Amino acid sequence: MLRIQQTLRSLLTLALALSLAACASSKNKGGEYAGVDDGDFITGSPLPDRLDGVSFLDGSVDKSQFSPVYFAFDSYVVEPGESRKLDAVADFLRNSNKEIIIAGFTDERGTAEYNRGLGEKRAQAVRSHLLSLGVSGQRVHTTSFGAEMPADPGYGEAAWAKNRRAEFGVIR
Amino acid sequence: MRKLLFSFSFALLAAGTPFSLPLQAQEVPTITITKGDTIALALAPISGPDGAQISKLVEKHLNASGYFNIVPDSRASMIVSGSASGSQLQGSVNDRSGSVVLSRSYSGSTAARASAYANDIIETLTGNRGMAGSKVAFVATRTGKKEIYLADYDGANLKQLTHDNTISVAPALSSDGRKLAYTSYLHGYADIYLIDLVSGARNRIVKFPGTNSGAAFSPDGSRIACTVSRDGNPELYLLNTNGSGARRLTRTAGVESSPAWSPDGSELVYASDDRGGPRIFRVSASGGTPRMISTGHNYCTKPSWSADGRRIAFNVRNSSGFSIAVHDLATGSTKVLASGRDPIWGPSPRHLIYSSDGNLMLLDVQTGRQTRLISGLGQITEPAWTR
Repeated sequence: MLRIQQTLRSLLTLALALSLAACASSKNKGGEYAGVDDGDFITGSPLPDRLDGVSFLDGSVDKSQFSPVYFAFDSYVVEPGESRKLDAVADFLRNSNKEIIIAGFTDERGTAEYNRGLGEKRAQAVRSHLLSLGVSGQRVHTTSFGAEMPADPGYGEAAWAKNRRAEFGVIR
Repeated sequence: MRKLLFSFSFALLAAGTPFSLPLQAQEVPTITITKGDTIALALAPISGPDGAQISKLVEKHLNASGYFNIVPDSRASMIVSGSASGSQLQGSVNDRSGSVVLSRSYSGSTAARASAYANDIIETLTGNRGMAGSKVAFVATRTGKKEIYLADYDGANLKQLTHDNTISVAPALSSDGRKLAYTSYLHGYADIYLIDLVSGARNRIVKFPGTNSGAAFSPDGSRIACTVSRDGNPELYLLNTNGSGARRLTRTAGVESSPAWSPDGSELVYASDDRGGPRIFRVSASGGTPRMISTGHNYCTKPSWSADGRRIAFNVRNSSGFSIAVHDLATGSTKVLASGRDPIWGPSPRHLIYSSDGNLMLLDVQTGRQTRLISGLGQITEPAWTR
């Protein structure tokens, strides 16, 4: 009996996941490359195509509009205290036709390549949060610099806490 | 090739310098070498115009291998000799009775002949591959920016490869040393570039939306594995080296990074934080369910699969910093061998190259002996090594 319940539960979960996937793929149809293989978007919403000539590293984005979102060590969870910052970003995006790049960063502790992935995951966690607030995924790009370009080059938790962040660049 | 195994008692007496374990190693490796594991070799002078230079190079490679003690003729179990002329080298190794153990001719540059001969001596006498002629690539900050550099495994022939003045990281070398892939932020995003080291041609081969990084060449050089985040999450992908045929390999809510191939190309190991902190997983190159490799450590990243298929080296992080750990796939045991980061196996089953305090280091995992290969280039990180 227990086994039947478990089977039923897994079937329900599967059906829910499939419907979510279908929903995601129709709502947030990705760019040219996104999900071309099999449309499996359960673990994330596909990114939009990049805009030509736009880079987080140059003047093509305005980084002064929003405060960074900070993270705990080795975490990409958007803390409740930080999520208020995202209300302002979502509000801005819902009331304009601008697109943004979210750049994820880590502190210097950790393996370089893992940090690039973790930074990207932070950017994407912030992006998911914005999407949950009704922002179109087509207008939110992500990039990661890992432990490069620390906000504070110092050593110690005070500096590291400032470096575990996601920054916002509004595309001009 | 016939595999000869030696354990000469007179080699025991001949051993000049016993190996010592590194002071900074966090745990003493339980693999210990006995002096009898080394082979006593005599190097007769190699005749010919560049014979002396070849002798010197062969001796350097044999010493680096860790398998030999170079001793006078009278105490040697094997005698290495040769004669060079023009671009040729005739090499011979004889045992004490005079029987020929190895006799072969080589052609090419002085360095190429010395490397080929040294590797043949190592492989004939130990059954294991040598490192001579192998190349390393790494990141260094000498110019104030992260750029990619190339060198021989012993630090010779150092050369700055990229001059992009942006962030150039995560180099990978194809087994034959003819291709290098790396991650560059030339366009403001992490993209993977491929450089043909023979022609110098460079192409941006992976440029999906989001972050593309951490390329690793398949052993046959036809494919790369890397991290791609276009689906809304950093996942592992396989692609052809021209960037076509992208195929996703993992499906998790976590971060996948640093794929590395098994020597036969059938499997990959990588780091994933899908179960808390980053751990090492293995997955078939044709897909399927990944399996976690149990190492007993909580923060494990940047794995590398040894050329003999038996061991996985990786990073361990703990309160005192980063260490190099080696996991034995057959026994399931894991040992921490040295402090440092980003270990990578090359052709030899007993040597790792890694970075420590900004230096490029060589670790003999059998003895624990650490050798500094390159320093003075700012911070050296993320080494890659040909097989």
